[in-house]
Amino acid sequence: MIKVKNLYHSYSRDDKYAVKDASFEIEKGEIFGFLGPSGAGKSTTQGVLTGLLQLQKGEVTVAGFDVKKISNKMFNDIGMSFEQSNVYNKMTAKENLAFYSKLFDVETRDPQELLEMVGLGDKANIKAGEFSKGMKHRLTFARSMINNPSIWFLDEPTTGLDPAIAATIKDIIWNEKKKEVTTFLTTHNMFIADELCDRVAFIVDGEIKLIDSPRNLKLQYGAKLVDIEYLKDNEIITESLSTIEEKDRGRIKEILDKYEVQTMHTKEATLEEIFIKVTGRGLV
Amino acid sequence: MKLWYSFLKELKLASKSFYFYIELFFAIIILVVVLYAIPENFNKRSTEYLYLDMPDTAKMSFEDRLLQEDLDKTAMETEIKVKKDLIKVMHYETEDRDIYLANSEEDLILLADSKKQLGAVITVDSETMPPTTSYKYYLQGYETDRLKNLYKVIHNSNMATLEAAVEDQEVRVLSTDYVTLSDREHTMPSLLTFNGSLMGMFIVAAYIFLDKEQGIIKAYAVTASTVWQYLMSKTLVITVTSIVTTAIITIPVMGGKPDYLLMLLFLICTGFFASGIGLLISGYFRTMTKAFNVIYLLMVAMMLPAIAYFIPGWEPFWIRLLPAYYIIQGFSELIVKGGNTGYVLLLSLGFLAAGTILFVWAAIKHKKSLTA
Repeated sequence: MIKVKNLYHSYSRDDKYAVKDASFEIEKGEIFGFLGPSGAGKSTTQGVLTGLLQLQKGEVTVAGFDVKKISNKMFNDIGMSFEQSNVYNKMTAKENLAFYSKLFDVETRDPQELLEMVGLGDKANIKAGEFSKGMKHRLTFARSMINNPSIWFLDEPTTGLDPAIAATIKDIIWNEKKKEVTTFLTTHNMFIADELCDRVAFIVDGEIKLIDSPRNLKLQYGAKLVDIEYLKDNEIITESLSTIEEKDRGRIKEILDKYEVQTMHTKEATLEEIFIKVTGRGLV
Repeated sequence: MKLWYSFLKELKLASKSFYFYIELFFAIIILVVVLYAIPENFNKRSTEYLYLDMPDTAKMSFEDRLLQEDLDKTAMETEIKVKKDLIKVMHYETEDRDIYLANSEEDLILLADSKKQLGAVITVDSETMPPTTSYKYYLQGYETDRLKNLYKVIHNSNMATLEAAVEDQEVRVLSTDYVTLSDREHTMPSLLTFNGSLMGMFIVAAYIFLDKEQGIIKAYAVTASTVWQYLMSKTLVITVTSIVTTAIITIPVMGGKPDYLLMLLFLICTGFFASGIGLLISGYFRTMTKAFNVIYLLMVAMMLPAIAYFIPGWEPFWIRLLPAYYIIQGFSELIVKGGNTGYVLLLSLGFLAAGTILFVWAAIKHKKSLTA
């Protein structure tokens, strides 16, 4: 659904690239996480993919459309949820969605239904200007679904939302995945990426450092340890053992056979730890 | 249909915006000024303060001549307040002048000084044969050299010779097929140009910068609507408000005199042109603050023809290169009964063509930098 080959972008149109030689492909129905700290080139890449920024160098196709010669029809297939809420403050939530529904050539969704989905059903007739930051963010998110997009660009979709609402947003993203919607998720929140993404790309200083699934990354870069708590002579003992080394594997078996195990956790590396390990950079 | 919905949305937002009410407020202010501050015709009467320093017989003879010119053939004794004093004078009211005869030269100087008007002492020396008349003027300092020279010529030439020379001049009327406007009506073309076109240029740019600032333009850019539809929806709103505000000003002042259908066409074409300039400026700058210098310079340049319009003696060639000059000319023809319809149509066509070029240019520029 999305093909990017040797993408470069420079705001100053010189060799100071915000994105350097980025290449990746995203399959239909995939949730692809684009992870990196602020200024890494995430939004620039997303800008080029959505036609908000001109394609300067490289090849990009989105939903079969060549972004070099962008066609307005492409926008019937894509939805975009911005990190910064950008709704008409002087229009109600429902009016905002109803207006945008008129700007597409495809069948659109019922504004009220979308507002219900993001928990704004009872606020449909209130002006967006009276909304809190989080409510505006949800309205922006709901708007991105108005045209039933087959490719969905989400820029920090859960930023600034309380955990309950964030969970709702995650559920919506899952539900859209079931409908085979392809999602390009830009975030610096590794927990969200870990939960939602089929694959993630780490981008730093405009360069993609790696692309893989969170599971593979954990397997490849995680410490692969198990923390075991067990009772020995009425005393709780804790041991941290490798699941790879033969000696430790034998010890795990021994503990399981001889003692009463209280807790046992595999100790996986988080995506954030892997990001730091791979890129040598934090996420802030 | 996308253009229609965008237009309706813009109209709705405009009706709730600060700028829309600025335009309405401005139109009402202009109307109030035109109706109540600008007289139908400016007062062309002059006021003169005189003191007659001459023997009684000569004085009576002079007063008799003034009485003959007086509208009701009677002089009125009156008192004029100067600071804390009341100065007694005789008032003569002729067709184009108010003449006050003072009782002393001191009174005359006080009057001329406080009222900032011309004062003159007319002296007749009966000792000489024949008696000689001399004039002493108290001027205000702002009088032109031409006027001062005129006073000198009048009093150093034989009046009979001057009158004969004037009488001998042949004055041939080349055209009688013209309509004169009242002074109030005369102010309308430049005011309508300012209200419609210049405000339109400024406000359309302001609307776009507002959208840029709020990021709304980005959301619009990822829809299946086009840049030209976005820009055109703004232009249409500006045109509608321009028509409304022009109607607010024109109808109460001009009544049924103008050809309103032609005026509507002219407003649409000139509004389209002025909006095109505003759209182009907003395509080259990110914020209103950064564009302000250019907008300000353009507004000043566009207002220069309005200044030239009120100063008949000042119309340098380059003024004719400014579009506002032709907008003013167009409105002048529109408000005159029997104005040159062909000229207005030609101007409308010109502004429509120029507006189209600007609009296309602006659309290309915005397409490249809509979200930058």
